[in-house]
Amino acid sequence: MRLTSDMFRKILIANRGEIAVRVLRACHEMGIPSVCVFSEVDRTALHVRLADEAYPIGPAPSRESYLCIDKLIDVARRSGCDAIHPGYGFLAENPSLPRACADAGITFIGPSAETMETMGSKTAGKQLARRSDVPTVPGTDDPIEHPEEAESLAQAMGYPVVLKAVAGGGGKGMRVVTEDVEFMSAWRDASSEALNAFGDSRLFLEKYLDSPRHIEIQILADAHGRVVSLGERECSVQRRHQKVIEEAPSTVVTPELRRKMGEAAVRLARAGGYVNAGTVEFLVDASLNFYFLEVNTRLQVEHPVTEQVTGLDLVKLQIAIAAGHRLPFAWETISPRGHAMEVRLYAEDPDNNFFPCPGKILARRIATGPGIRLDEGVYRGWTVPVEYDPLLSKLIAWGNSREETIARLRRALDEYTITGIRTNVGLFRRILSEPEFLSGEIHTKWLDQLLARPRPPAVPPRPGTEAAAAIAAAYWESIQPGSGSTGGHDASNAPSRWKKEGRRSQVDRRP
Amino acid sequence: MKFEVHLDSVGGKTKHIVDLEKEGSSYRVSLDGQPVDADVILAAPNAVSVILNGAAFEIHIAPSLDGTCKLQTGAHEFQADVRDPRAWRGRKQGALEAEGRQQIVAPMPGKVIRLLVKVGDEVEAGQGLMVVEAMKMQNEIRSPKKGRVERLQAKEGQPVNAGDILGWVE
Repeated sequence: MRLTSDMFRKILIANRGEIAVRVLRACHEMGIPSVCVFSEVDRTALHVRLADEAYPIGPAPSRESYLCIDKLIDVARRSGCDAIHPGYGFLAENPSLPRACADAGITFIGPSAETMETMGSKTAGKQLARRSDVPTVPGTDDPIEHPEEAESLAQAMGYPVVLKAVAGGGGKGMRVVTEDVEFMSAWRDASSEALNAFGDSRLFLEKYLDSPRHIEIQILADAHGRVVSLGERECSVQRRHQKVIEEAPSTVVTPELRRKMGEAAVRLARAGGYVNAGTVEFLVDASLNFYFLEVNTRLQVEHPVTEQVTGLDLVKLQIAIAAGHRLPFAWETISPRGHAMEVRLYAEDPDNNFFPCPGKILARRIATGPGIRLDEGVYRGWTVPVEYDPLLSKLIAWGNSREETIARLRRALDEYTITGIRTNVGLFRRILSEPEFLSGEIHTKWLDQLLARPRPPAVPPRPGTEAAAAIAAAYWESIQPGSGSTGGHDASNAPSRWKKEGRRSQVDRRP
Repeated sequence: MKFEVHLDSVGGKTKHIVDLEKEGSSYRVSLDGQPVDADVILAAPNAVSVILNGAAFEIHIAPSLDGTCKLQTGAHEFQADVRDPRAWRGRKQGALEAEGRQQIVAPMPGKVIRLLVKVGDEVEAGQGLMVVEAMKMQNEIRSPKKGRVERLQAKEGQPVNAGDILGWVE
């Protein structure tokens, strides 16, 4: 497939942060001019600094800027864009955007509004899965009236089962039942709890998956009926249902299972008339049965993991598909090579209940070198705004094996330093040293359980660390201008250390 | 030039005397009265490189609002309070306050969306005082001690910056 600059005249990127930068880079590589948008607090954001063209779209709150379809369409028209890429988040899964694009004669880089509606909703997606012979978690979609009826269903489906309130949420009105004798009392508890919490006592029944894994299949579908699976991503390491680490391939997926899950995802995408890049999410139980969870009708945050093991650029392919190009036949049998893993670095403090820690980035040292990719929208001197998701950087490592990938990721996490704001980098150091993670024994509740356990004692610093810290602190104090210390004067009046270092390196150049 | 460095980390609290004597373009360093083989330089903004008996360390330094510094090297962090024993700079006038009256300070920029207590309320240590929204997340600001809410500066709907005083608990 040839990716050419004549696919579109100009592309509007309706997003901000690292994903706007990611899409912008794809446009630059293809030679397609691109247009960025920014809210009042994002004037100096990296995506604006790298943009070919940039237009303001209003105040900081996203509903007054990044979520304003009218403003986006207006910018697209004024700047002469013939396509819009939504990134992820914001409007990426809102069918109103593709509709508005269609009305304005602009191509939306993603699936159609109708597809978003039929595949994006959990219930509609589940019905489509059943119709296309894709396994779903066994259970009833409709409330069950009589507990006796529910009990015989539970017996037929096999324990454990879970009772869930129709109006439920947050675990209220939910009971796991492991055997027959518990059923009636669990039913009474759950329905009275549901009545108290939601004013609705109705319950439905599902098979309970104990410690399932979250494994998703990346698909690409062109407008000519070819749908391909690019293999799985394992996203079981989650904190309160938010993905924290993603990797490909999964340690439990065999070539046979990959083929089966890939075929199921492709079947589902065909049945829904899906076009463009999408992700079909599954839960996988201990016996490697997989059950459909939902479809994400957009590019995922974790797409780089698939890019590193397939060698494909998903954003460029999204653009090509939207321009009506065909996917090559050979990709129907694509399989992953090597291993890739991504961590999401957030401006938050893991020692303080993951409190968001926005603020100014005083300094930083980035991670580079073999097998390392850093997708980000931050830089030194930039103030991370409080208004948006605190994702700073996605650090992606890849290597020949999972072991090499983890070693590279650990090494890169040691190199990556941000000064001025706190990040969750310590969380990844901890996860990447956990024996269960290293052996791949993870599931969707694993991280929450790990964080509830007492912390292992800190690894003692190597000898000299404390002395070095004390010397560094004293030295730092001595070079602060206006510090009351007399030692400060000679340093601050001396020629700039940067200049001195520059001159030194000029005369001291070794062959 | 002598400095008294108070370090606080998960390993505990320590105190060191660091003497830095300028010697040409570098420093003669002694630690707790003993001369040490140390080379110290600002390698990059906020990054001090220390080579101590051949072992290389890079210490990343972020000044805090209260005049102390946060030091970070690899997985290790220190809070450093540096005092110049010859200067009469009582940086920690707040030391008494730490036990008595407690300032409630915004830990990050955001918006106060809800007050959970009124002036005069008795509160427990750890009890929520107000909710501050930042980055789409609502966060409870908790009382650092058991006591009485003496004053509240923060109002519902008010935007706050990191370090702003939101109130006092007596």
